[in-house]
Amino acid sequence: MKKKMNRRAFLKYSAAVGATTAISGFPAVLRAQPPEIKIASLQPVTGVISDIGISMRRGNQMAVDDINAKGGIKSMGGAKLKLLLADTEAKEEVARSEAERVIKEGAACLVGPFLSGNAMTIATLCEQRGVPFVMDVAAADDITRKGFKNTFRVFPFTTKFAESMIFYMTQIMKEKNISKIKGVVTNTGDLFGRVQGATFVKTLKEKNFPIEVLAHIEYPLGIQDLSAEVSKIKAVKPDVLFPVARPGDAKLMLRELYKQRVELQGIISPGSPGWYEPEFIRDMKALADYVMDNVPWVNPIGKMYKDVNARFSKLFPGKYIDTNSGYAYLGVLVVADALERAKSTKADDIIGALKKTYLSQDLMVGLAVTFNERGDNINADTAMIQIQEGQIKVVMPSKAAEAKYIHPMPKQLWDRGM
Amino acid sequence: MIALGLSLIFGVMKVINFAHGEMMVWGMYVAYTILVWTGIDPFFSFLVSAVILFILGYLLQRTVVNRILDFPEAMQVLPLVGMAMVFENSARIIWGPDYISPQSRFALSSLSVGPLTIDTPRLMAFSLSVIITILVLIFLKKTDMGKSIRAAADNRLGAFLVGTNVNRVYAVCFGIGTACVGTAGGLLVPLMPLSPYIGAPFTLISFIIVILGGMGSLAGAMVGGFIIGVAESIGPELITNIFHGVGLDLDFPHTMKQVVSFFILIVIMLLRPQGLFGGKRG
Repeated sequence: MKKKMNRRAFLKYSAAVGATTAISGFPAVLRAQPPEIKIASLQPVTGVISDIGISMRRGNQMAVDDINAKGGIKSMGGAKLKLLLADTEAKEEVARSEAERVIKEGAACLVGPFLSGNAMTIATLCEQRGVPFVMDVAAADDITRKGFKNTFRVFPFTTKFAESMIFYMTQIMKEKNISKIKGVVTNTGDLFGRVQGATFVKTLKEKNFPIEVLAHIEYPLGIQDLSAEVSKIKAVKPDVLFPVARPGDAKLMLRELYKQRVELQGIISPGSPGWYEPEFIRDMKALADYVMDNVPWVNPIGKMYKDVNARFSKLFPGKYIDTNSGYAYLGVLVVADALERAKSTKADDIIGALKKTYLSQDLMVGLAVTFNERGDNINADTAMIQIQEGQIKVVMPSKAAEAKYIHPMPKQLWDRGM
Repeated sequence: MIALGLSLIFGVMKVINFAHGEMMVWGMYVAYTILVWTGIDPFFSFLVSAVILFILGYLLQRTVVNRILDFPEAMQVLPLVGMAMVFENSARIIWGPDYISPQSRFALSSLSVGPLTIDTPRLMAFSLSVIITILVLIFLKKTDMGKSIRAAADNRLGAFLVGTNVNRVYAVCFGIGTACVGTAGGLLVPLMPLSPYIGAPFTLISFIIVILGGMGSLAGAMVGGFIIGVAESIGPELITNIFHGVGLDLDFPHTMKQVVSFFILIVIMLLRPQGLFGGKRG
């Protein structure tokens, strides 16, 4: 016989269920859950450099997942990190509006954003809103020279790039008995490209270094035709090309150098993406060989690198941890470390903890992450890498070298059987 | 070719296809996919790109563009900008965000004539573009469909009154316009790395070319394209040489080469607002 549920019966059962669950302690588990800590990843996931943006977001997300898997922020009762995702579209105005959005959504700290121009906008906003901002990748010197109190940079700054480049070029010229190099510097016209190219040229002049810059050529970011620029390179007959590029134009440049038969002893980037991504090596094949790049590279013998890279490559087939995804991972580790020590999500506490950061790592070349008064990581460093038979090898500094560098290039681009 | 398609669509329907550059990227990806799957060079597979883009254009016209033809011009912009975003992001979902430079047979070939180096894929793309433009012109002049397109362009109501299926004619015309841009996409594969986000600048530059040549003029699109191409390539060097010639120690940066295009555009707009080949409209 069916018993009809009336109002009194419903209230009685509800009260019983309520009392039972309260006694059993199930809601107590929920109450004991530590609050979630929101941090935000701002990367250029769409737009002209979306390939790098996606790679960096993956680095950020993987670090968050790893921290959560290891028990979250232990000093805050094992609070889990939640990554708010934001897309800057590689545009300054979007970077600002997205930063504004994630701050409103409660992000305790912002991480990102690869492009120096975007970083400048976000840093300015974070200063106004009093929110800590950790730049995983963004190199332009100026960002940390504005006197911002809330901004920290894990990545090397452009002057550091130029100094390392001079150091490595000194070694090459000494070992190969080269007294003078005639070079051409090229760069993209975005903030990073301009600053990186100009700082390299300025440092050469200041140090009176024996590299004569025959031409300094700048072209717009996202350019689709480099024939005129390469004609100019060919006309001045340099020994070495020093390009600051992005993934698209790096390929365009190499093909155009091939087609116009530009004779070079070497292609050595003072530090830029474009020359080490898996797609560059896959598409350029033998043309990619002997290209050198002065980049904040992974530490090939590091334990952390081996662990992270193995899982990253498994998760995203065909990809590997490189400069950008590596620093994206490290950026989140720095934030988590600061939260652990701050034991709070208050901006002042996090900023105070960030200032005292000393995070040992062997994911990237360089030593433990620690910031100076400007907020720059004083131990961030670069390595000289070279593509040899389709593999990226660290060739300098010698303590991390996997292979000996090859200079001058034994074969011109068009002699490689393509 | 890109400007030709844009000009054809505008000339007939008075609609500016703001998804033009993104559709060109689809043409590139079609040719790239054929190259990867079958090994057929983009200089042959551009025909498939053209056919697929024709179908896409035809469907886009019937489903979206045909409904906005009578809207004010400002309102016509939004649906097509929206379509551009759809094409861009669907390309990203299908083919991924990475820059791709497939190794095609002619991608690295060049000819040496004395001190000159001639880029073979560029030469082939240029020659094929000229041939295809002439074929499009012949199609418009000599075939029944071409005549219907011209009639509908000239007087929509008149064409309708004499029994022309204007909707179908418009859809075919839009399809031909997008087939032109699909062809251009295929021919560009050996010349530049492709990624889903390279389309927008092409829409802008072809828009400049179309205004320069004369809105709706196919010959104008060709000549305009030639002028802008040459101006952007040699303009910065030429201006730098002029600066040096008059004793100024200034270099005109290559980052500002689009300034040359816009300067030419402004001059043409001031001196000949209807464009180089545009007829005066009553």
